[in-house]
Amino acid sequence: MELTYLFFLSSGLFLGWSLGANDASNIFGTAVGSKMVKFKTAAFISSIFVIIGAVYGGQGGTETLGALGAVNALGGAFMVSLSAAITVYWMAKIGISVSTSQAIVGGIIGWNLFSQKNTDVSVLTKICSTWILCPLITGIVAILLYLILKNIIKKSHIHLLRQDYYIRIGLIVSGALCAYSLGANNIANIIGVFADSVPFKPVRIGQYFQLSGLQILFLLGGISISAGIVTYSKKVILTVGNNLMKMTPLVALVVVLAQALTLFLFSSKGLQHFLMSHNLPTFPLVPVSSTQAVIGAILGLGLLKGGRGINWNITLKLILGWITTPLITMGICFVSLFFLQNVFNMTVYLP
Amino acid sequence: MFNLKFSLFSHTKELEQKIDMLHDKIIEISLVFKKAVTVYLKEKRSSEYRHLSKNIKDIEHDADSLRREIENRLYMHNLIPDFRGNILELVENLDKVINEIDDVAHKFYIEQTDIPAIYHDKFKELTEQVSECVENLAVASRSFFRDLSAVRDYAKKVYWLEHESDKTSAKLKEAIFASDMELAQKLQLGSVISEVADIADLAENCIDQLLIYVIKRDI
Repeated sequence: MELTYLFFLSSGLFLGWSLGANDASNIFGTAVGSKMVKFKTAAFISSIFVIIGAVYGGQGGTETLGALGAVNALGGAFMVSLSAAITVYWMAKIGISVSTSQAIVGGIIGWNLFSQKNTDVSVLTKICSTWILCPLITGIVAILLYLILKNIIKKSHIHLLRQDYYIRIGLIVSGALCAYSLGANNIANIIGVFADSVPFKPVRIGQYFQLSGLQILFLLGGISISAGIVTYSKKVILTVGNNLMKMTPLVALVVVLAQALTLFLFSSKGLQHFLMSHNLPTFPLVPVSSTQAVIGAILGLGLLKGGRGINWNITLKLILGWITTPLITMGICFVSLFFLQNVFNMTVYLP
Repeated sequence: MFNLKFSLFSHTKELEQKIDMLHDKIIEISLVFKKAVTVYLKEKRSSEYRHLSKNIKDIEHDADSLRREIENRLYMHNLIPDFRGNILELVENLDKVINEIDDVAHKFYIEQTDIPAIYHDKFKELTEQVSECVENLAVASRSFFRDLSAVRDYAKKVYWLEHESDKTSAKLKEAIFASDMELAQKLQLGSVISEVADIADLAENCIDQLLIYVIKRDI
């Protein structure tokens, strides 16, 4: 059973690998590109914190994805992941950085359509609203952070060299926080669809340390993201950063920090409980896109400076990519499920 | 990693001190230069002038070693990667001002130019303007590292003083060439005046660059 499960899981792990390869650039792209942080340091820190985030904070987003469509057969889960991975890979190849979250949602809806299960419209609306909310919130957070930090720097008269030192430390710390949030928030995209059929038994390490079956699944997903970061992200990291807008180290720090905070808002169960207990509006625990968050932050800062430095052609291309990604994945998933069921005689859903 | 961070912090601190010391040297050399010219006008190549001239040479040597150390440290420890090129340029431009002051002081020493007493007041005025211009350049450059908004204020002073020094040097040359002196002496005096005024021109060039760096840092 576990071997078959691992075979099907391979598509999820492939998606994890491509997420790691692509999204590491959102975490450390500007820091490494501007030579503030070495690639080795960036890869080491993000790999460790992505795994910790996935294992300890991955549950919230997974529950929401499960509510959208509980992919109840391994064959179906395999194809949902594979179609998302194909779309992300293809879009990346033609130079559009897309969201794994959108791809996986498109895949799940494709599965829902194929298996004639109802898509929960309220959950879908909740998820789609975050595709606008996430870049919007990150943009606002980035503007606020930038104004605060800029003001602190202006008033404190810190030496340029010391500023550089503090920004370097800030980039490493916020990069680690961002990697944790990415793991916690995006692990649901990678192997969330396999959560319903998890075969692993809980493992106890030492007296206090225990991993549930689901956490072992998250650990595998986290390792696949780390593998993507270590093996393939360098090229993406070195090309990202200055495409959309020219960035100074301070802007780079603000972008990463705003991204980390936003991903945290959309994945922290603790924060949700805290807000609920104080009768405050809560953030939906939905896997959001780190790419969208980064772009939201960059656009926010670009607009703060009058919008002169923004490359609007690339921006429009990205937005177009965001609209087409879920639709393309849905189409690929629907057609592939048909083949998987009728040509390979596989069970892709349970009635 | 903590070791790495600690050493990065100590390198940062040391470089901060070196940059501050370079600015101190610029202020020091401008003050010594002002005093040296006053002494020269009074006593020509006296022992006091020789002492001051040597003092200028020593400051120039110290500034050269500081410049090399700053450049090496910036690249060896990969500090401020986005502004490293600009800081390198700034340090080299500051060094050009120091070298020019040293050259002029040495020119007085070697050529022993005879400056008639009727031009002494104007010559002192020119030297004071140039010296003040260099001091303001040093303060502006120091502010670039700590307080961007102040750079513009000092830059304004540098521009004004450079303009004034241009006017003073033009008036001096006009008076000299209208006098009955030998042409050779006129040409020698004209050359000394131009070189003194060149110090302020170099300071102005340096400030032009500095203001561009300020805009770049502000983005």
